[in-house]
Amino acid sequence: MQQNVVELENLNFSYSEDRLLLKNINLNIAKGKITAIMGGSGSGKTTILRLISGQIKPNQGKVKVFENDLSKISIKQIHDIRKRLGLLFQFGALFTDINVTQNVAFPLLEHTNLSKKLINKIVAMKLEAVGLTGTQNLMPNQLSGGMARRVALARAIALDPELMLYDEPFTGLDPISLNTTAMLIKKLSTSLNQTAILVTHDIAVTMGIADYMYFMANGEIIAEGTPQQIKETSNPAVRQFINGEITGPFQYKYATKNSYQQYLEQ
Amino acid sequence: MRHITNFIKTIGHPFSSLIIMLGECTRLFWYLLTGCLYSLKRPQLIIKEVYFSGVLSLLIIAVSGWFVGMVLGLQGYNTLQRFGSVSVLGSLVALSLLRELGPVLCAILFASRAGSGMTAEIGLMKATEQLDAMSVMAVDPIKRVVIPKFISGIIAVPLLTALFDTCGILGGHFVGVNMLKLDQGTFWSQMQGSVDLHNDVINGLIKALFFGFIVSLISVYQGLQAKPTAEGVSAATTRTVVHSALAVLALDFILTAFMF
Repeated sequence: MQQNVVELENLNFSYSEDRLLLKNINLNIAKGKITAIMGGSGSGKTTILRLISGQIKPNQGKVKVFENDLSKISIKQIHDIRKRLGLLFQFGALFTDINVTQNVAFPLLEHTNLSKKLINKIVAMKLEAVGLTGTQNLMPNQLSGGMARRVALARAIALDPELMLYDEPFTGLDPISLNTTAMLIKKLSTSLNQTAILVTHDIAVTMGIADYMYFMANGEIIAEGTPQQIKETSNPAVRQFINGEITGPFQYKYATKNSYQQYLEQ
Repeated sequence: MRHITNFIKTIGHPFSSLIIMLGECTRLFWYLLTGCLYSLKRPQLIIKEVYFSGVLSLLIIAVSGWFVGMVLGLQGYNTLQRFGSVSVLGSLVALSLLRELGPVLCAILFASRAGSGMTAEIGLMKATEQLDAMSVMAVDPIKRVVIPKFISGIIAVPLLTALFDTCGILGGHFVGVNMLKLDQGTFWSQMQGSVDLHNDVINGLIKALFFGFIVSLISVYQGLQAKPTAEGVSAATTRTVVHSALAVLALDFILTAFMF
């Protein structure tokens, strides 16, 4: 039987009263697999990652990570779960007052008692994995956007977490870095049996590495399946997204809110 | 009816905001207290922050203290001359600095130089998701980032106050003795005779300790409350300086009433 690392059950979430951001989300992430969550901007993909990492709580429904319901456990238990997961932030979120080495070494220094020599070796290995050997002493403000994201990736995988959450890992990367990163995600998944959740817009690369895909629109899951099933789907919204068509069921416009109606009536 | 409701809301909003702020500050203070042990186990974090907030403030504090002492020397000399008691200039300069001007001005300067920096750093870390990143790595950002800054302020302000007082007395000495040719022996002996170690020096440093506490608490609170935008961080740093100055002056009145 398939073992799920993450389970979202009947989940609703909103930041404000007048707009439900996530509606009745049911989603399972299988152990050791790469699951992609795709959809247009503002469809709630990043919010799902924030819910899984315990940064925010759902209004309704359950978020289960490693079989723990996050709304029913203590902060300390959430911290224990977080030690088993890594999150690559959309904009890297590197610590700007310390250099690349110190950034990558940060989780190792905080959570292990390894010697400085060993930590330096691990940092060098992680930087090599993301193709940034030789950047050890650079400060984050000396890195390009793409390089900063790769350093952030090296930091996220420093502890070889069981579950990796990638928020737009391919944005701002050149084609070579993009393929390197995609291959690294695949390699981590196959060699370490690491579970990965990939939030991305890059259809071609994602189809190549993902084991399962969810498609989201307006806060709902509109389709799911293996990359092959997604390719062959007849769902018009998914087809529109894959083909990048301007017209179709996918709305380019931001969903109208009650406050917007009130603004028009003023 | 809507106008009446809006009117009541407008009047009530500042009061409710103040109560909310005090409540949040108290909660943060409690969290800072309970998390202090973690930071004390890692003194290198506190030493780093003391360097940024204290050591890098040495110059502004020393120079300000020197000028304040010189102004006190000049003003004191002119006033005391009218009463024929210029000999007590040393006492006037020392007591003014040790009891009031040293702790108060030093705390306000600290809020402007280091407190605003603490707020901006925490606010920017929040805006650039650095605090979130830390939290997701199972590292409590309050314990790792905020508490060392808070403790560093409590350590730095009394030490900076001592420096401010010393430079101020030397400034007063420079004006009184070197410029206005007051007798050096009279200047120091009068000061020695009138300044009490416990009542004046220690009480002044206790005041500084309280000021360091309140300025640091306001600085980190404003940093954590800052909206994650450039404008939000800018507004938070301004609030840090304004709130700190007001809090220091109000607290000074209360402490003076109890101490002297």
